[in-house]
Amino acid sequence: MSVVQITNGKAPAVAKRAAQRDWLFIAALIVFGVIALAALLGPWIAPYDPYALSGEVNGAASPDHLFGTDDLGRDILSRVLVGAQASVFAPIAVVILSTVLGVAFALIGAWFGGWVSGTIARIIDVIFAIPGLVVAVLAVAMFGKGLVAPIVALSIAYIPVVARLSQTAASRELGKPYVAALRVQGVSSWAILLRHLLPAMVPIVAAQMAIGFGYSMLDLAAISFLGLGQQPPAPDWGSMISTGQAGITAGAPEQSVFPAILVVITVLAVGIIGARVTVWAEEKDA
Amino acid sequence: MSAPVLEIADLDIFAPGIEGPRQLVFGSSLTVQRGQAVGLVGESGSGKTLTVRAVAGLLPEGFTTNGQIRIDGADLGTMAPRALRELRAHRLGMIFQTPRAHLNPLRSIGDFMIEALVHVAGAKPDAARAHAIELLAEVGISDPGRRMRQFPAELSGGLLQRVMIAATLAMDPDILLADEITTALDVTTQEEVMAVIADLRTHRELSLLFITHDLALAGSVCDRVNVMQHGRIVETLNAATMRQDATDEYTKLLMSAALDEAPPIAANDVESGPIMVIDDLFKTYQVRGATGAKEKLIAVDGVSMQLAPGGSLGIVGESGSGKSTTARVLLGLEHADSGTITVDGQDWSAPACRGSERRERAKIAQMVFQDPYQSLDRRQTIRQCLTEAIRVHRPKDAKTTVAARVSELMGQVRLDEALLDTRPRALSGGQRQRVAIARALAADPVLLVLDEAVSALDVTTQVEILTLLDTIRRDTGVALLMITHDLTVIRRLCDHVVVMRQGVIEERGTAADILDHPQAEYTKLLLDSIPREGWTPRRRRLGRTQALPTVTRSSIIPR
Repeated sequence: MSVVQITNGKAPAVAKRAAQRDWLFIAALIVFGVIALAALLGPWIAPYDPYALSGEVNGAASPDHLFGTDDLGRDILSRVLVGAQASVFAPIAVVILSTVLGVAFALIGAWFGGWVSGTIARIIDVIFAIPGLVVAVLAVAMFGKGLVAPIVALSIAYIPVVARLSQTAASRELGKPYVAALRVQGVSSWAILLRHLLPAMVPIVAAQMAIGFGYSMLDLAAISFLGLGQQPPAPDWGSMISTGQAGITAGAPEQSVFPAILVVITVLAVGIIGARVTVWAEEKDA
Repeated sequence: MSAPVLEIADLDIFAPGIEGPRQLVFGSSLTVQRGQAVGLVGESGSGKTLTVRAVAGLLPEGFTTNGQIRIDGADLGTMAPRALRELRAHRLGMIFQTPRAHLNPLRSIGDFMIEALVHVAGAKPDAARAHAIELLAEVGISDPGRRMRQFPAELSGGLLQRVMIAATLAMDPDILLADEITTALDVTTQEEVMAVIADLRTHRELSLLFITHDLALAGSVCDRVNVMQHGRIVETLNAATMRQDATDEYTKLLMSAALDEAPPIAANDVESGPIMVIDDLFKTYQVRGATGAKEKLIAVDGVSMQLAPGGSLGIVGESGSGKSTTARVLLGLEHADSGTITVDGQDWSAPACRGSERRERAKIAQMVFQDPYQSLDRRQTIRQCLTEAIRVHRPKDAKTTVAARVSELMGQVRLDEALLDTRPRALSGGQRQRVAIARALAADPVLLVLDEAVSALDVTTQVEILTLLDTIRRDTGVALLMITHDLTVIRRLCDHVVVMRQGVIEERGTAADILDHPQAEYTKLLLDSIPREGWTPRRRRLGRTQALPTVTRSSIIPR
C-alpha cells in the first residue's frame, strides 16, 4: 500500500523551496547593495545639483530627467540619490541602537532574574505604553528639528519589542542543561554570556532587526512627512513623499511615487535578508 | 479461525531524501491474532515506531511505504481515504509515550474524554459524560468524577497515561497500539499501567501491539515478541520460552543487557576518610498548591551520606525522591536550606560566590547530566567543547598541550578523534554521553556526579557507558556518585547504595545487601517492579496520583 504518493525521481518539495528562497535572497542582497551604494555615493553620482532648479516645474519623466522634476523644478533622481543617505542610514542607526540596548536589557533581566528582571520588565512596560511616533515628536520638540532627535526617540521606542523577545529567548536558553553543565565546569559568567548565550540568540535578534528596519524606515518617513525630520531644502524620501502629495492629484505623481517605491523595495529587501539569516542561524542550531 | 486483527506483510518504509528515498524499514512482517499481545522490541532507530505509525497512518510527511497492512482482513492500501479513517478510528487505539504532550493543558480531563465521544462517536453530551466516567473507572482511576474536572497539570504521568488508555477505549477498538507507553514512567508506575492493560485484555478481548525497548518487559506482558534491529525484524520468539529459543546474536545481547546476572560490585575497603560528606541536608521549594496558595515542597528532608575516595555510591529513587536535587545542591546549582556539605576537606555548604571559587570547585567535582542531547552546546564542535573545558583550568597552556589533552580525553572515553570537528547533532546518544564524560574528566576531578547519566540511552549503549565508567573509576581513582532510578544500573557500577523516597533516605548499605537482601518495604517494592522472567504486573498500591510540583526556573544563576 502507499500511504503517500511516491515522489519518484523528483526533488522533494522541501529542497525546491530552499533553492527558491536562496535565489530570492541573492536578489534581495543585490537590491539592498545597490541602494546602499547609491546612498553612499549619492552626492557624487547625482546627475544634477539636488537644490538647483534644473527643469520645468512638475516635469514628467524624460531622458533628461529620468524620474522627472518636482514642484520647484528640481531633478527628482538627484534628490532621491542625495536623500538616500538620510533615508537608509538613519533606520540602520535606529536598528543598531535599539538592538544593542534591548539585548543588553534582555541579558541583564534573564541572567539575574528575580527583582532585577521584574524592574526591567516594568521599565519596558512604561516605554511600551508610549507610542513611538509621539516620543519622536516630543524629542523633536525638545532637541529641535533634524535627524538626531527622531533616531534617538525611535531607538528608545523600539527597545521594548527587542527586549521582550530577546529575554524570552535568553531565559529559555539559560534554563537548558548545557548552561548548568558550563557552570559546573567553572566556565566564567562572561564566557557563558558571550560565547554561548549570544550566539544562541542570533536567529531571533536577526529576525527582529529586519522587522525593526522596516518599521523604522516607515516611521522615519512618517516623521519627515510630518515635517519634523530632515529639514528642507535637504531632501529625504519621507519629506519628498510629503511635499509631492499635491502633485498626485494634479497629475504629476513622480515626486511622491519614486521615493515611495524605493521605501517599499528597501523594506522588502531587508525583510528577505533578515528572514534568510534567521533560517541559517536556526539550521546551524538544529 | 478468523482473520488476524492486524497483519503486516513485507512492509518497507522510505524516508524522503535529497538523493531519492532512503529505506528505513525492510520487509517487516508480523501478525496479531484476536486477543493476542505481540511485542515489537528494538532500540532507537530500529524502525519499530515507524512500523506502528504506518499502521496508524501517522507517518511524517513525505514518507512512503511498500507492502501490505491488513486490519481484520481489510487491506489499508486499497481503501478510500474516508473508509480508511473510519476503520482506524473504530478499530485502532493508539497510546503514546508522552501523554502530557498529547493533552491540551487548558482543557479538563472531562473535556478531553467527552470530545471524542461526542464528535467521533456522535454520543449525546450527558451519555458521553457517564460513559467517560465508566471508562476512567475501568482503567483503575479512583474518584473519576473529580478527575473529570481536573486539568492535565494536576495529574501524575502514570495517571495521565491511564486517561489516554481510557480515551482510546472510548471507540471500543479491537487492537491497542502502545508505543513506549511506560518509558517515561517510574518503574512502580510502569507496573501499575501494565497491570491495567493486562486487566483490559482479559475483560475486553483486546489485542495489543506493544512497542518497547525493554525486552524483559515485552517478554512478560506479551505472547510473542518480535525483535527489530536496523529496520529489520531479526527474530520472532514465543515470549514464554524466549530465553531458551533465542538464536540471534542481537537478541542475546539485548537479553544480557536486560537480564543482568552480573554480581554487584564488592565494596572496597578504604582506610582514608570520605571524599564527600553530606550531613542533614534540607532543601525546600515554594510552589503553588492545588488551591493556588503558596506551599512548601520539601525536596530533600534531612539527608546524610558519604562517599569514600575512589568509591562509587548510588542514589536510587523515583521521580520526586529528591535525588537530583541533592546532586544539584552538592554542585552549587541550588542553595540548600540547611545542612553541611564537605568535599575534599572544604566546606561546600553554600554555592560558590566568585568565579575563582567556582573554578576551584570545578577541579574537584564534575557532573554528567541526564540528557546528552541537551547538556552539550549544539553550536560547538566537540573540539571546541573539550578545549573550553580544559582552558578553564589552564588558560595559559600552549595550543599543542591543550590539543594533546583533548586527544588523551577522547582516548579515555574510547571515541574516534575523527569526530572532534563534528557537532553534537551528528553523534549518537551514546557518543554524546561519552563527550559529556570526557568534558567532565577534563579537569581531572576526584568526584564525578552522574545524574541519570545513562537513562536516556539504549540498553546496549547503557551497558557500554557503564562499563566505561567503571573502567575510568578503576584507572583514575575518581569517586562516582551515581543518581539513578534504575537498580540494574546500580548493580553494574556501585558498591554502596542509598535508597531515597520523597526526600527521605529509606535504606542504605552495600550494593550486595540492598540488591540481594533488601530490608525496607520500599526497596523490595522497587526491586519487585523490575520486569524479569516470570514477572507479571500487579496492582500493588495506589500509585502517586498528583503531579509533582515542577520547579521550572532553576537557580543556577547567582542572585
